[in-house]
Amino acid sequence: MTHPIIRFDHATFGFPGVIALEDISLTIPESEFVGVIGPNGSGKTTLCRAVLGLMAPLRGTLRVLDCACEELRCHHRALIGYLPQKGMLDRNFPVTVLEAVMMGRYGALGLFRRPSRKDWDIAREALAHVGMDHHRDSALGALSGGQQQRVFIARALAQQPRILLLDEPTTGLDLTAQHSVVELIQQLHRELKLTILMITHDINMIRSRVDRLVLLKTKLFAAGPPQEVLKPEILSQVYGKELVITDKDFVIVEDYHHH
Amino acid sequence: MLELLAYDFMQRSLLAAALVGAVCSVIGVFVVLRGLAFAGAGTAHAAFAGVTLAYLLGLPPLSLAIVFGLATVWITGWVEEKGRMKLDVSIGILYTATMALAILFLGLMKSYNPEVYGYLFGSVLSVTTEELMTIGGLSVVVLGTILLLSKELYFIAFDQEMAAASGVPARQIFYLLLTLVALTVVISLKTVGAILVFAMILIPASTAYQLTHSLTQMTLYSLMIGTFCAVSGVLLSYAFDLPSGPSIVLLATSLFFLAVCCSPKRLHRIQPQ
Repeated sequence: MTHPIIRFDHATFGFPGVIALEDISLTIPESEFVGVIGPNGSGKTTLCRAVLGLMAPLRGTLRVLDCACEELRCHHRALIGYLPQKGMLDRNFPVTVLEAVMMGRYGALGLFRRPSRKDWDIAREALAHVGMDHHRDSALGALSGGQQQRVFIARALAQQPRILLLDEPTTGLDLTAQHSVVELIQQLHRELKLTILMITHDINMIRSRVDRLVLLKTKLFAAGPPQEVLKPEILSQVYGKELVITDKDFVIVEDYHHH
Repeated sequence: MLELLAYDFMQRSLLAAALVGAVCSVIGVFVVLRGLAFAGAGTAHAAFAGVTLAYLLGLPPLSLAIVFGLATVWITGWVEEKGRMKLDVSIGILYTATMALAILFLGLMKSYNPEVYGYLFGSVLSVTTEELMTIGGLSVVVLGTILLLSKELYFIAFDQEMAAASGVPARQIFYLLLTLVALTVVISLKTVGAILVFAMILIPASTAYQLTHSLTQMTLYSLMIGTFCAVSGVLLSYAFDLPSGPSIVLLATSLFFLAVCCSPKRLHRIQPQ
């Protein structure tokens, strides 16, 4: 088996009085593409924050890049490329596309050091990977939502990460842009052999692209190849509604009022 | 106008104004982009409360201005970080409470002290050599720190959570930024006064914001506008016998409205591609 890069061992996360994720045991080997699904409030973003080292387990252990969470210092975090949920971007924020991508290098560079020519080359290369190198001098706010997501993926790539953590990367994008972004992520996984954890609500979009699906509902409900996880009896327990898998393997929510 | 430069007091005033203009306008870029404008205004009033208490106790005025300014700005940062209360509410309370303290301390003074009011309204023409050296020293500290950590400061201004996730010590840099804001307010108290100091932090950076899409250019434009307004404001105040603080701030405000009218961002509103 490939070397595990992320390992949860009976790990519980939360805040005083609130358990967000309980008793998670999960091992993710290097270069695996994992989709993380579950309803709202199921602990998906907590899982993300835990892997980033922003939350330590209340019980159990989590090791990322062979470090316990509390040892996950800045230089380790720089090896985890992170795309947060799409927030509201100030369209007039004065930053060019290349400047935004270069920010991905800052963690690895450390304090006081200026970006070298090599760092600028890495940033340009990351932009080329996502097909946005011709926009490098454009204002970030002038790009469409899909293009901005590509730029933020390039920023994560500029870190030269071993793990790529994507928190709902297609939310807020139109259908064409959603497909384009997911295809890009799949292509990066293929070409760069990155370990990818992608949190999403769009089961249909990723079911044929990931190696494994992880289904959360505060606990780890199921984990395995998509065909093993996406079974009506499992999904209906987690989502609490009648979920149907069509003959084209699409998962849809059936409105129980129409029964 | 050149003969003015022969006077020692004018040399000191212009140098103090140039330093204050430069420091305020550069720190202002991060204050505007990080959305800390109101926090800075509260800090200015807290620093003035420190000045009045220092006069009451017979201490050097800037010593307690720094203590009050830092305490206010750190409490503001802590409240924002913890999200326990809306930021505008907590700053509003600190802002008025420190101003009330300043008025209380003024009331406790036995006699009218024009020097204290100099810190409220600004009196750059009366800057002493010692004060100029303090302004110079603190300016080097603030500008030097910004120069060394500009990339981290830009990153937290753009997206603090992302900066933390990328391995930048974002929380520490945020508190450092707040500390620099407090120091800048203290540096500027004598020149433009507690009431107007925040205009010098806010207006040059907001003017530059109208003019460019690049972080580096915004900083350079802000620096040029801030220094120009501070020096020109002092010269105008002397030439027309006007108070220096309002002259500087009103000149900067005029440039801001000019920039808003001529802003390429507004004239050529960018459409998503």
